[in-house]
Formats: sequence, structure tokens, C-alpha cells
Amino acid sequence: MDTLLLLALNGLIWGLIIALIALGLSVIFGLLDIINIAHGDFFMVGTILAWFALEITGSFWVGFIIVPLLCFALGALIQRVVIQPIRGVAALSIVATFGLSLILQEVVRMTFGATPRRMLSPIPGTVPLFGIQYDVYRVFAAVVSLAALGAFFAFLQHTKIGTWMRAVRHDRDTAIAMGIPAQRVYRYTFAIGFALAGFAGVVAAPITNVDFRGGVDLLPVCFMAVIIGGLGNLPGTAAAAILLAVMEGVIESFATPTVARITSLVLMSAVLLLKPQGLFKGHTR
Amino acid sequence: MSEAILRTEHLTKRFGGLTAVDDLSLSLARGQLHAIIGPNGAGKTTFFNLISGLLPPTSGRVFFDGQDITGLLPHQVSRLGIKRTLQIKSVFNQLTVADNLWVTRQAGKRFLHPFRAASRDVDTRERVDRTLEEIGMTALAGRLAGTLSYGDVALLEIGMALISEPRLLLLDEPTCGMSPAETARAVAKIRELTHKVDIVIIEHDMEVVFEIADDITVLAQGAILASGTPGEISVDERVREAYLGQPEDEDYVSEAENA
Amino acid sequence: MTRRLVVERRLFFVFAAFMLSVPWLIPALASVFWVNVITELLIWSLLAASANLLFGYVGLLSFGQALFFGFGMYGVGIGITQFGLSFWPAFGLGVVSAMAMALVCGIFAVRLTWHYFAIITLVFSLIFYFLALTMKPLTGGDDGINFTLPPTFSFGGTQWSFTSTNFQYFFILATVAACFYLMHLVVRSALGKAFLAIRDNDARASLIGLNVYVLRLVAFVMAGFLAGVAGALFAFFGRYASATYMFYQTSGEAVVWAVVGGVGTLLGPVVGTSLLILLREIVSTHWEHYSLIVGALAIIVVIVAPRGLMGLWRDWFDRSRAREQGETQAVPHTEPRTEP
Repeated sequence: MDTLLLLALNGLIWGLIIALIALGLSVIFGLLDIINIAHGDFFMVGTILAWFALEITGSFWVGFIIVPLLCFALGALIQRVVIQPIRGVAALSIVATFGLSLILQEVVRMTFGATPRRMLSPIPGTVPLFGIQYDVYRVFAAVVSLAALGAFFAFLQHTKIGTWMRAVRHDRDTAIAMGIPAQRVYRYTFAIGFALAGFAGVVAAPITNVDFRGGVDLLPVCFMAVIIGGLGNLPGTAAAAILLAVMEGVIESFATPTVARITSLVLMSAVLLLKPQGLFKGHTR
Repeated sequence: MSEAILRTEHLTKRFGGLTAVDDLSLSLARGQLHAIIGPNGAGKTTFFNLISGLLPPTSGRVFFDGQDITGLLPHQVSRLGIKRTLQIKSVFNQLTVADNLWVTRQAGKRFLHPFRAASRDVDTRERVDRTLEEIGMTALAGRLAGTLSYGDVALLEIGMALISEPRLLLLDEPTCGMSPAETARAVAKIRELTHKVDIVIIEHDMEVVFEIADDITVLAQGAILASGTPGEISVDERVREAYLGQPEDEDYVSEAENA
Repeated sequence: MTRRLVVERRLFFVFAAFMLSVPWLIPALASVFWVNVITELLIWSLLAASANLLFGYVGLLSFGQALFFGFGMYGVGIGITQFGLSFWPAFGLGVVSAMAMALVCGIFAVRLTWHYFAIITLVFSLIFYFLALTMKPLTGGDDGINFTLPPTFSFGGTQWSFTSTNFQYFFILATVAACFYLMHLVVRSALGKAFLAIRDNDARASLIGLNVYVLRLVAFVMAGFLAGVAGALFAFFGRYASATYMFYQTSGEAVVWAVVGGVGTLLGPVVGTSLLILLREIVSTHWEHYSLIVGALAIIVVIVAPRGLMGLWRDWFDRSRAREQGETQAVPHTEPRTEP
């Protein structure tokens, strides 16, 4: 029973982290019409950069602040160099993002190496929670992820750029006709997507393996959250991410992780085929 | 009194709260060119979509030559001999003109041979050549359809509708966007076709309508406002109010009266 | 344009002659190792061809061809290790199971289009990848299973089997060539034209009477066949089958090879695969990070040459012809997108 609770809590934490990544994927998909195969690698880059930050400065918290900013800049750069030139051939964007994924993984392999490493938790110790002793850092991770989610939604609702993003996602042509600078919105969107994933990477780094293949595993889950939650339905995507992760965590308690993964994939197929607009109500795109 | 070529019974289509086609019951006789006119949003294209199977009706039935075709899929309706063109001209841009016709002709067959070279099908090639002549595009046979002028695309569409030996042709705004010269060409072509095939056209160009239609149905807000011969329609008060009520159109009206 | 076809035909004969002489020519110029590289390259180009059939001719981007490759591969592997099958029955098992899988998946997948189709093919292939991982006793998981190959032909006292490099090469060459020939027939046929129409404008296609769903399904099963044959050949070639090859990375690479070579052309997959695999072999002896080049090439091709190398060749040829003949009209863009 304790294991179940533990796994469910872990699942919840992971769900929040994945929600951050999946939201990035969703806005990129929703606004730029691009299936970003490299999105899992964006997360991975976040973990790697966090590790480097720790190595170089000796402090996890430096990375905590700097890495998301770095990722934002990197995202903007990639959008300018890779994504923008291919806007005309949307079908081939998968090929380009696949190439990007290869490049990111290889660059990391060159600089970081092929061996997975673990980071020490920056906040050691446990705290009693629901009758079990739970990692303080994980609680912190949950809080910080929730805060980030909240901040993202607030950003979308209350800032100029956020509003522009929502407008373009809702109706691209009208938004452009109304004078919204589409190129800038695309750049911001991609940069924010990378930043979200990168931030999730920093948060997740102490509780997972830091490995150049770390993004590959995550990609299917993010897609699942986006599809099951519904394209264009951001709260739905976040909710789906959390539910999926909790579900996988629970299944893991009595079966293998692989079985858990298969279950999620089957669920996702069912949703794609029966209700492509997602399981949750929200404005469909 | 022969069976109407096309008949609908209480045909209705609702999209959520919007009723696009409202309890439409009409009967179109054979051997005539029917025109469907009406202001924008009257439900004309929706009506065509319901007949050709692109949309399932909310209620009501559609009969083609006595056969109930309600709810059939587009390719099934097409196989029965109802061919239509689209409001926004659409052909296969990356195929040549000849191939556009070729593939349309082949599409009616039950079995598409996966291994035999297409060029060996002499039968189809002859039909393609003949149709090219009919629409006057033999010289353009090798051109990519995407490079054609708008008027030529419309002609190609008509050719594609012809090559499959249709029993009923639904033309959705065939002269839309055409220059006067192109319009005249298209109208002449359509007139020729009426000898072979029953045609229903949706048109906005009142000159064209009054020139070639034998029978006009006026739609407004999804329902039939009036129907009859061009002469009858031109003097119908309700129609004048709803549709022809602008001073500019009165020229057409008097033309029709004198036609 | 026909002049170019004549040139291409001649180049093809040179290429064919080269391919036939490889087992003797290559060891003389380099070493036997490269014969095996070329053999492997043929197998992968068949997988690229399967992605190309769907994407270039029907307009469906599949990110899951590795699934059918895997079934072909494991059909052979499991057929030999678990059922003690000999060569041809194992081959048959691999190919038939791949096609059956393609039918089952296709029934669902082909109902979707565009991004959703790509995603669901990816998802299906992942499901089976994970299944293959779990069923480790049967499949060997990522480590895979090894086996010895029964002979291909044995009559009386003589036996021909893959232990002979030359026989192996010619068998694979013959099979791959036969598959490409079949593709050539299909592309030229009535079915092929219907595919092109669907790729161009599927709404119009159904209006003229084509059953778009069924035709897409047919294409999907055909592509599954090609991928299955590739997988079976791969198992024969390496005497090895592993779940790693069912991962989406393999599917993605196949798509990249097809795109680099030229989507919608018959030999584009061969060109693209050859370039990238030769690059891999040559570069990886000096530098282990050739993936960077593959990735960069994928991006560059999409931006600069979306029609791939074949497209570049055709544009270049047509333009220099036009210059030669003093024509001023822009030739490249009126080129039909697909030709044998």
C-alpha cells in the first residue's frame, strides 16, 4: 500500500513536470503546425545544462535560474535558423525536427558523454506526507512546477504576447489581418516551448537520470498528453499529463514500467481514433 | 409524366443552431437545365453537398431517378452517375490535363489494375482524347493542371464531369470569377451539354441564368422561395424583393421579360 | 523532358551494370567489407522505398514503418529459432506477418490524415516496440536474438546459402530489384494514378468516385509488404533480430533517406539511403559523431531542396537544357512531381 502511495505521488510529481513539457509541445503544434520530434530532447538539454551549471558553479540554484533563460534564447535561435525557413513545407517539418533531434542528442553526447549520471538532490532529507516519508525535493519540485504552470497560464491570459499567441492559435489569418506580428509570435512560441521543457528538465534533473537519451523516452508521453488532452486545449493537456503519469505510476506498482507505457499508448490510440479532439471539453481547434 | 431526375422530400440540414437547408422538397424534371439561385447563405451549395454525399442530411430523403440515395458516400453517389463541380475550382494540380481526365475516367471502375501500365488502356485513352476535343483543350493535354488559367480550369472540370458519362451534372457557380469571354465560352459549352445530360447549376450571374435555364428555383434561408420558368420568376414579387430588388438588376429582368 | 528521361535511362543502365559487378569490382578497388556495406544499403533502401511509397505517392507520412520492418525481421528470426523453419517458410512468415500487421494497423490508421496519421503510425510502432521489449524470452529485447541461417536452396548435393558473400549479395540484390520493379509497375498503373490523385486532392478524388479509404489502405499494405521484405532480408543478412530496430528512430531515418533522395521518385530512396549510409561508413571511421551530419543534412535538405537530390538533378538538367535551347520560360516548376 505504501508502495502504491509512493508511486502515485511520484506519478503526480512527474505528471506536473510532464505537463510543463507537454504544454510547450502543444503550443508549438498549435501555433506553428509543427510536430516537434525534438521536443523530448529540449527537456533533455535542460537536464544536461542543469548538470553543467552544477559542475561549473557548484550550485544547483544558479542553473535553476539560468537554464530556462538559456533555453529560451536557444529556442529563439533554432526557430530563426531551422523552423522559419521551412514554414512553407509543413509536411516536411517532421523531417527537420527529427534532424534537430539527432543533432541535439549528438552534441550532448559529444560534450557530456554517453554515460548517464545522477545529480545529487539539492534539498536533502524527507518529510512526513500522508503517512510516509517523502523526499523534500520532490515536494519542492511539485510546488515549483505548479507555480510554473500557473505562471504560464497567467502569461497567456494577461500579457500582450500571451494574448497574441492565443489570437494566432485561434484564427491565424484574422490575427495577422489585425496587425499581430506573426513571425515574432512564432519565435516567442518556439522559444517558450523550449524554455518550458528546459525548465522542466532542470526541475527533473535531480530525480532522474541525466542522459543524452533522456528525451527519447519522454516524447511519446508528451504526445499522449497533447492528444488525449486535446489539441489546443491547454488545461486539458496539463490535466491529461497528470492523469497519465499517475496512471502509469499506479500500473507500475503491480506490473512493469513497459506494461504501463503500453497501456498509455493503447489509450492514446483509442483517443486518436475515436475522439481526435481529445477527451476533455475545451475549445477545440 | 416521367420520373423526375432529381427529387427531394423534406430535405433538412442543421448545423447546431443553424438551419442551412429547411424542409426542401423539390422535383426536377428530365431534359431541362435547372438553375438554383438565391442570395448568399441561402443554402445552395449545402444543397449540392447533401445530394452529392459530402454531407449527411439531418432529415429528409433524396431520390435520383427514383432511387433513394440518401446518406450514400460521395464516391458511391459519384458511381451512380451524379457528377459535380465545386464552387472553388479544384482539379488535380500536379497531374497533367490529360491525366486529370484519365484518372476521372478510371475512377468509375471497380478494379484499378495495380500492375498493368496505364498507357496500355486504349479504351480510356480514346475517351480522354475525345473529351479533350469536346472541351477544346487538346493542345493543352500535357500541361500541368496547376498552371492553367482560371477559365481553363473550369473547362477542365466540366471535361472531368463529362468523361464519366454522367446522368446528372451539378455545376456549382461554373462561371464564377470568369472574364466575359471565358463566361461566353463556358455558357456555350454548357448549352451544348444540355442535349446529352441533365444539368443543375448554381449561379449568381443573372444574365447567364436567364440565358440558359429552362427552370429556376429560388432559395432563401434554406427554403424554396419560388420556382418556375425564367419568365415567371422575373415577375414574381417575392423574388424581386428578396433578390432582384436592386435597380441595377432591373436590366436583366427586362431582358428576361423580353426573352 | 523526354531527353532527360533518355539520359536517366542510360544512367540507370550504368548503375545496374555497376551493381551487377560489385562482388568483383569492389574487392578489387577497396575490400570485401564494402560489398557488405552495399548489401546492407540495399536492404535499407527498401525500407526507405516503403516510406516513399506512402509519402511520395499517396501523401501519407508514416513514422512507423519500422513496425513492419520489425515483423519481417522477427518473422524470420522467431520462425527459425522457435519453429525451426527453413529459409523460404521463414521468409514467407516474415513477409506475410508484416502485411497482416499493415492491414490491421492500416484499417485504423488510414482513417486519419496529415499530422494525426503520422502520430498514430508512430504510436502503433511504439506499442509493438515496447511489447517486443517485454517479450524478452522470445525476442531478446534490445539485445536481440542470434541464429544460424538455413540454406536458401539445396537440391541434391549442392547448397546455396548466405554464408557465401556473393550469393548473399545477389540474392538480396535480386529481391530488392524485384520489389523496385513491382513499385515501378504500380506507379505506372491505373492504381498508381489514383494514388497520385488522392495525394493531390483527396476531396476531389472522392468526388470523382475513388474510394479514398480503401485505396489508402491498399497503399499502406503495399508499403508494409516492402518494409516486411526489408526486415526479413535484414534478419537473413545479419542472422540477427533486435527490438532496437523497431524503435521510431529507424522509422525516422527511413523517412529522412527517402526525403534526401527525393520523395515521389522511384529511385530517390536508393539515392538517399546510399548517400547517408556511405557517409556513415566513411565518416564513422574517422569521427564517431556522424549523426550530426545526418541531422544537419535532414534540415538542410528540407530547407534548400525539399524535392531531394533527384529533384535537384532534374531541376539542374532541365535548366541547362533550357539554356542550351535558348528557351526563356521557367521549366522547373512545370515538371510533374513524379516520374519513374
